[in-house]
Amino acid sequence: MAKYIFKRTLQSLLSVFIVVFVVFLLLRLMPTDGYFTRDDYQNMSEAEREMYLEDIGAVGNPIKLFGKFMVDLFHGDLGESYVLQPHRAISDILAEKIPYSLYFGVVSMLISLVLGLLMGMAMAKGKGGLPDALGTGYVVIVRAVPSLIYLFLLQIAITGLFKIPMMFSERNPVTWILPTISLSLSSIAWYAIWLRRFMVDEENRDYVKFARSKGMSDWKLMKSHVLRNALVPLAQYFPLQMLLTISGSLVIESLYSIPGMGGLLVEAIQEMDNSLVQVLVILYSTLGVLGVFLGDILMVFLDPRIRLTEKEEG
Amino acid sequence: MMKKILSRTVSIALAMLLTVSCLSGCGSKSVNTAEYLGTYSTDVTSLIPFYLPDTTGKKVISNVIDGLIETDRFGAFVPSLAESWEHNDDYSVWTFHLRKDAKWYDSKGAEVAPVTAQDFVDGMRFVADHKKTKSDMSIIKSVIAGLGEYYDTLVDFDDPNLAPSKKPEGPREKLEAQFDDTVGVKALDEYTVQYTLTAPVPYFESFLVTEIFLPNHKEFSDQCGTKFGTSPDQLLYCGAYILQSWQRNKEFVMVKNENYYDADKVSVEKIVLQKITDGAATVEMFKRGELTGTSLTGDQVEHYMQDPEWGQYVTLRDKSSVNFWFFPNFESPNSEFNAFVQNEDFRLALYHALDRVTIAQLYNPYDTEDMLTNLICPEDVCYDENGIDYTDYAPLKEIKERGAATYDPALAKEYFEKALSAVTDGSGNIRGASAGEVKMGRTFSFQTDGKLPLQLVYVHGASSDEVSMAQIIKMNLEEVFGSENIEVILSQFTGDKYNDVIAPGNFDFAYDNYSFKYADPLSQLDRLTTGGAVNDGRYSLPQFDALVKEASEKLVASERYELFAQAEGMLINGGYIIPWESGGGTYGMTREIPFTAPRGGFGLSRFKYKGMQLSEEPISAEQYKQLEDEFYEQLLKRNAG
Repeated sequence: MAKYIFKRTLQSLLSVFIVVFVVFLLLRLMPTDGYFTRDDYQNMSEAEREMYLEDIGAVGNPIKLFGKFMVDLFHGDLGESYVLQPHRAISDILAEKIPYSLYFGVVSMLISLVLGLLMGMAMAKGKGGLPDALGTGYVVIVRAVPSLIYLFLLQIAITGLFKIPMMFSERNPVTWILPTISLSLSSIAWYAIWLRRFMVDEENRDYVKFARSKGMSDWKLMKSHVLRNALVPLAQYFPLQMLLTISGSLVIESLYSIPGMGGLLVEAIQEMDNSLVQVLVILYSTLGVLGVFLGDILMVFLDPRIRLTEKEEG
Repeated sequence: MMKKILSRTVSIALAMLLTVSCLSGCGSKSVNTAEYLGTYSTDVTSLIPFYLPDTTGKKVISNVIDGLIETDRFGAFVPSLAESWEHNDDYSVWTFHLRKDAKWYDSKGAEVAPVTAQDFVDGMRFVADHKKTKSDMSIIKSVIAGLGEYYDTLVDFDDPNLAPSKKPEGPREKLEAQFDDTVGVKALDEYTVQYTLTAPVPYFESFLVTEIFLPNHKEFSDQCGTKFGTSPDQLLYCGAYILQSWQRNKEFVMVKNENYYDADKVSVEKIVLQKITDGAATVEMFKRGELTGTSLTGDQVEHYMQDPEWGQYVTLRDKSSVNFWFFPNFESPNSEFNAFVQNEDFRLALYHALDRVTIAQLYNPYDTEDMLTNLICPEDVCYDENGIDYTDYAPLKEIKERGAATYDPALAKEYFEKALSAVTDGSGNIRGASAGEVKMGRTFSFQTDGKLPLQLVYVHGASSDEVSMAQIIKMNLEEVFGSENIEVILSQFTGDKYNDVIAPGNFDFAYDNYSFKYADPLSQLDRLTTGGAVNDGRYSLPQFDALVKEASEKLVASERYELFAQAEGMLINGGYIIPWESGGGTYGMTREIPFTAPRGGFGLSRFKYKGMQLSEEPISAEQYKQLEDEFYEQLLKRNAG
């Protein structure tokens, strides 16, 4: 196991490195007039534009620049943003935004896990009956209707009905509730439908039929055996999903005006803020790789039968 | 067992709902008229006061930092930090006397230092250093004595590509110190600041409301270093409000400074500007009292005009000083178009063929004709010493009065026939045009055959409105001239209009919008000369250049305006530029009482909330009309008196 973890860690580091290096180079292939607005371009002389580009690290030897970037990174210096928030340390920018996305992400994920799994169990148990039909109806609506539509309608309806402010405001605790619930709606459907599917799979297994014939109650059967086995394939994604909540939900954050991480990467790319893009790429790719890795480990803990390495022939 | 869990979940949910409704029932819907709740959609990257490329930054800085002068609600220049001022006979030396009770405060409201004349010198010093800020120097570089040279010296010194022998001798501190001796802004004493200009500038006051002439407390900004302007505690304030908090991508909160010298004129005590990108949400929030005002897009206007409750509150805002105009490309790679564009009859044919009302209706289905303009410079901005509006000078007055009747298909055809006989040889061959492939930009190319129909490329953006507009123009021109004579090719650009289309000249016909920088026609006409900054059609009209130069040398406004008006008339009557419509003029609903806040076509004053009054109820269109009539009556009296 230890050997596996070590090998896996090295592979992950290599993946992240390649991703970062490629993105770094691509960013520097972009045409440099994108860094200036029309007025700026006209008001600055050629020399001034050159100097500005050098200052922000948009021109120059890419290999040298990359080297400097990696060295700074190891010293914990994430650098400064150049375009979106000039002269502000990227670590400050992230420190401001991550808590919002993390809070909403984690809490809504927990809500969706609890509600989704409950719903999935109800659907599997009452397969073909009313709970199943209702649940399927919910899932179809949430997955088929573009989220922006039902989320916006929900925002208008609920805030109007209960007379709460439409936008998120830190000072007002009531405004924290609706975005969290909205964020979880889609995942509830996802967990419900997948759990239902895996549970129904398990229902057809021999050990279930055997236990039932031995008189075990349905509820105990579900709780102690079926659920546990059905969760294994789902559990693979839990760490990844939990970690990536940091990236924030673009839709929810812009609907409710939440200053989280949601639009940051997109805006940074559009505005060509290279230093910020690089840090975010490292962040997300590291989290992604780590998440997949942890998911594999989690699966092993849940189901000891799973082997991640080749069984060594004795 | 499942039932138990289900019922438990339901009861928890119900409990939550009940709690929420209790909490919310406590809020009241009454609007607080001491708070302005506004929005913004583009974020500022930095609040360095001297470089404010978008409205958001201007909205904030104009309220927290004052300049020498500001505009009042009639748009006239009134004292701000300067109590009084005078100039010499030829308008080249301006002296300002500051009030003695103005102070700098920090973000907590604590007094830091008095505002002195030296702060204005240091403000200019900050602006003149290209490393400190990307301010638009173009307006003042050649206006303030010594400023251009000082600025260029620093640029040359920092330029890594310049040979050391060509560079000025350092160190940089030495060059920076030259500012005090060579640049024409001096603190004569603690409260007197004097500007020395390179030439007479009778309209100098209109420069002073822009952000470049703001004061700077050097000790503080030096201390902040590169962090200056990155957060509320990295700025000092001398305006009516203090920036209490700035949460990036979320909101600005400004509170009234009770120690402000003009505090009794400030009735709005708190300003909250939220970042909201969704247009539909702002209307809802306005209706619920969460926002003081909202703008309405085309379809929202239609919807609310019919609304029994809200229809009465839909009002039309003032036009802005931004003007939109169409222009043909005199350096088009398309040889067919090139052959025609040199012919004045062809250009006038275009001028009279364009159905501007139909095009503008896309964006503004009501009051469309009101929004059209037939001029390059905006109305209601430049007044001469007798109170006469620049746009009432000949030939502009007559051009204005054409209104929407510039659209005259019969006249257009007449001009076009004349052009045809001059440019074609009678059998459909266009003189001077060649057959071949024409490339416009990286991805667009088409074939010309050197014969009629004339292929004209109209370039447009990707939004659905732009696409519709392009199609209307195509139908419009082909209908008037006949599709055997003209074929309008539509080309959609991706990316940036200026960098991808206008600057490289990848178009035959296009439009853009242009802002007006200060209260003199020179501000726009100077940029429309041969090779001028907004001469996007790249025409060259030496008589125009000469006339503009002559006008710029006059000192008396009426003399300037007379010549400028003739010059502008030349461009319009020669078809070099086809004016289209004014900016602004959007619809909205608001609780702001109109004509109470400062007014102006440009600069920072127009964003101030000083003097603004808010009403508990939204303003109805009737009330607006009434207040508007009263206002213009008062304005006329003032200008006459």
